[in-house]
Amino acid sequence: MAVSARHDRGSIKIAPDAIVCEECTLVGEITIGSRTVVHPKARIIAEAGPIVIGDFNIIEELVTIKNRNTDSSQKAQVLIIGNNNVFEVGADVECLKIGDNNIVESRAHVGSNVELTSGCIIGAMCNVSCNEKLAENTVIYGSNCERRFQRDKPPAQGLQIDFLSKILPNYHHLRKPPKSQKA
Amino acid sequence: MELQDLQYAHAEYIETASGNKVSRQSVLCGSQNIIINGKTIIMTDCMIRGDLANVRIGRNCVISEGAIIRPAFKKFSRGVAFFPLHIGDNVFIGEDSVVNAAQIGSFVHIGKNCVIGRRSVLKDCCAIADNTVLPPETVVPPFTYFEGSPGRFTTELPESTQELMINITVGFYEHFKPIGKPRGR
Repeated sequence: MAVSARHDRGSIKIAPDAIVCEECTLVGEITIGSRTVVHPKARIIAEAGPIVIGDFNIIEELVTIKNRNTDSSQKAQVLIIGNNNVFEVGADVECLKIGDNNIVESRAHVGSNVELTSGCIIGAMCNVSCNEKLAENTVIYGSNCERRFQRDKPPAQGLQIDFLSKILPNYHHLRKPPKSQKA
Repeated sequence: MELQDLQYAHAEYIETASGNKVSRQSVLCGSQNIIINGKTIIMTDCMIRGDLANVRIGRNCVISEGAIIRPAFKKFSRGVAFFPLHIGDNVFIGEDSVVNAAQIGSFVHIGKNCVIGRRSVLKDCCAIADNTVLPPETVVPPFTYFEGSPGRFTTELPESTQELMINITVGFYEHFKPIGKPRGR
């Protein structure tokens, strides 16, 4: 397995029932919660500090989640992602705090100074990078990154996760947690 | 305007009996579910997700560098499914586009950096401008040109779209030539 050579820097903790494909790139100290699905070719790079990903998240292909050091004088911060988030194809996420039930659509970019609370949707190709905390249920959409609030939070993706966790092991090698870690 | 020859290192691509040229740097997941009908070029860093559902690509298509072809997901009242994705003949897909469509007709041109939303249907002879975002479940009618984010109808296409697309895709295939091939053609 030539691919796995790239993974061995830092410690990677994967919950036993998470689905993490072998072809994704994991660098640094990463924790992945239970029932989270990581598609092949996703990149999770804990360069400046650890990355903690919660439960029931979907991270699709070519998504980049990066803990990047913006200010070298600051101490290394932990990038925390909550539960039930969806990162669609090609999303680029650097923000340090993500709550629950957020959707980052295809090719959207979320900069490192942004904080996503919960129920937020960042539309396809939208770019959010100023220093702010997005209010709950914010939707950012369109070519000018317009904003509005939606009444209800986006639906949970539980069924999709069930389906993916059935189908992905048939086609991909999965990264399994080391035996010593199973408590 | 005559197309310039686009050369690739012979070792970089696999050429099949039916004339498909598939880059070794592309990622085809679940290759047993991917049908490519012939004379189609799949360039470097493309990704085709055959593991989610069947993907069928017609003849003389061009899938440019970094494009992602991915069957779309739909939630039903009972259970869930990924839709099989059919792409017609003579389709051009530009660089770094994400295609989540349910169906793409023949003679379709998709520009660079597009996002084609989930379960969109692109009919025959339509075109999508560069950097367009089509919202989920969009239907693009024949002979229309869609632009912007969200993608909207802007102009109509000429009746000769079919011939133009055949010229573009066939010409592209003919000018996509290997260098360093042991026996020249």
